[in-house]
Amino acid sequence: MTKTLTREDLLKAYRTMRTIREFEERLHTDFATGEIPGFVHLYAGEEASATGVCMNLTADDHIASTHRGHGHCIAKGVDPVGMMAEIWGKKTGTCKGKGGSMHIADLSVGMLGANGIVGGGGPLVCGTALAAKLRNQPFVSVCFFGDGASNQGTIFEAMNLASVWNLPVIFLAENNGYAEATSSKFSVACDNIADRASAFGMPGITVDGFDFFAVYEAAGAAIDRARNGGGPSLVEVKLSRYYGHFEGDQQTYRAAGEVQNIRDTKDCLMQFAHRVTSSGEIAQAELDAIDAEVKALIDGSVVKAKSDPKPTEADLLTDVYVSY
Amino acid sequence: MKHIHTIPSIGIVANPASGRDIRRLTSKALVFPTVEKINMIERLLGAFGAVGVEHVMMMPDMVGIAAGLIRAIDGHRAQGLQPWPVVDFVPMPLTDSPRDTQEAVRRMRAAGVAVIVVLGGDGTHRIVAGECGDTPLATLSSGTNNAFPDLREPTLTGLAAGLVATGAVPVSEAARRNKLLRVRGSKVDEIALVDVCVTRQMHLGARAVWDPATIAELFVTFAEPDAIGLSSIAAMLEPVGREAPRGSWVRCATSGLGVLAPIAPGLVTPVGIDEHGLLAPGRPMQIRTEQGCIALDGEREIELNGHQTYSVTLELDGPLTLDVPATLAAAVRRGAMVRDLIRSAAP
Ligand SMILES: Cc1ncc(C[n+]2csc(CCOP(=O)(O)OP(=O)(O)O)c2C)c(N)n1
Ligand SMILES: [Mg+2]
Repeated sequence: MTKTLTREDLLKAYRTMRTIREFEERLHTDFATGEIPGFVHLYAGEEASATGVCMNLTADDHIASTHRGHGHCIAKGVDPVGMMAEIWGKKTGTCKGKGGSMHIADLSVGMLGANGIVGGGGPLVCGTALAAKLRNQPFVSVCFFGDGASNQGTIFEAMNLASVWNLPVIFLAENNGYAEATSSKFSVACDNIADRASAFGMPGITVDGFDFFAVYEAAGAAIDRARNGGGPSLVEVKLSRYYGHFEGDQQTYRAAGEVQNIRDTKDCLMQFAHRVTSSGEIAQAELDAIDAEVKALIDGSVVKAKSDPKPTEADLLTDVYVSY
Repeated sequence: MKHIHTIPSIGIVANPASGRDIRRLTSKALVFPTVEKINMIERLLGAFGAVGVEHVMMMPDMVGIAAGLIRAIDGHRAQGLQPWPVVDFVPMPLTDSPRDTQEAVRRMRAAGVAVIVVLGGDGTHRIVAGECGDTPLATLSSGTNNAFPDLREPTLTGLAAGLVATGAVPVSEAARRNKLLRVRGSKVDEIALVDVCVTRQMHLGARAVWDPATIAELFVTFAEPDAIGLSSIAAMLEPVGREAPRGSWVRCATSGLGVLAPIAPGLVTPVGIDEHGLLAPGRPMQIRTEQGCIALDGEREIELNGHQTYSVTLELDGPLTLDVPATLAAAVRRGAMVRDLIRSAAP
């Protein structure tokens, strides 16, 4: 069944994408000062993917994320203020400042965690999906993974397991064309990750990752199918990252003007704003107001993150194991 | 002066993006992998080589069809098998969009290829038809959800294309003229080869039209009861042949009487009918729906927002396509398939 996006949905989608963009642009600036500990991998440019997928999910559905996880977190409903504190290594962070960028997790909103292990999400979502299935709950699990991760054994094993157990899993391949400095042209044997689905007996599709509406509808069909017992599927989203693999990456492997060209012609926020304003669904002033609110939110999150306390020595041995 | 090939040359367009849209989730359409497209081209090359085609112009792409084909050609040559034509890739900048197909077809036409073989769905053929002029097309469906192209073993399509390219069968005996639908608005002039569907879905979104409940209006060039897709809705009311000088239109309803139609692979569904009729050539019909999208050959292309009006007109001078059974029958009649084994055997 076709889901109709209401005005509220459209505003929410824009706010989510703008929040991710602002969050990442701000980290790009702040990371260069050297004050932020650890590594950050920015999601800027890929916002329509996380947003288009997660707008089809509820807090009871689960997602597993990647090292490039900020966008997935925000789209799934993790508080950006807590995330910023987490990335700054502060006690007020989502994971009390002990995880940092690559380990932000918030089970209260169904976010299983960013993950430093490339391809680590596949087995995790098979677990949450199996739990939902055994409990007869209508909850789905989405595994976000990259083109690099698509070559990992864990992803193949998870696709196989999800298929033989008919689990409500969506394998969401974010193909941004690179794994670190290696072009997917050199590393992905089949060129279209979606082609691999048939080997596991599941449907696979490819969708334009710069277009929120395309991702929303395609992911929605995959999610509805899984929720109704139809089993797993593979959705390949083609997109691009605006920054380096990590902050500090010189990106000598990318053509001059590659990113600027995409920003100018395909940017997901630009396309979205153009569509909804030219159709008359949303006024530009409403989008401008969201931009201002989001900027204030992110500015505030940085001010707070900077002044919040760090974990102390006494925190070292807490939260190491979870007791069930 | 444009450069015209003096040796028989055939163009090949293989849409890298076809066969992997949302219909794999909403129906039982299958993923059509790149490796299978490459294999289809290899089968074409085998047939071309056998009937004396010496040159092929191939559309390049960014997702591995060209790369895979280069590997296949190297392997074929290394094994010393029956020769294939020389394959040249059209030298052109790539955008990874339908513009690549348009550009490749323009250049093939300018180079004077005798036939263009197209691997893709209805949508790919629509894009090629916009640029090919009177260069005949040999159509091949790379997917499970198409009405316009042939669902046929490529070796046979390759033989037919090769026989036409080498002059063994004249175009007049091999090709058929197709109809088309032209959609006009103040800033729009687009064509469709099979159907124009107006859906109530508000956004272009995932492009394919897959939800029968959203279909408001449908215009078709032909309607065959044994074809899959949206045109089957019209076909189940009143079939219209591919060569009949008319099309038809349908306005759908959400209740009342309807027809059972195979609108996608594995998806046979009742579609409510409000009214329907025949479409005479050259007579524009207005689109009535104000909010939604216009889909051309199954893919949403134009968003409607109530500010503009659009019309649909049937035209009889669409692209030429090879009738493969007729071409091969003509080849047999003309003795074109007879070979002298003694003389052609290598010493
Ligand atoms: C198991 C494992 N192998 C290697 C690495 C090192 N590594 C970190 S990110 C990355 C590239 C991942 O590429 P991709 O999956 O395409 O994601 P993207 O960075 O493009 O979002 C690699 C190889 C790792 N973290 N884990
Ligand atoms: Mg990548």
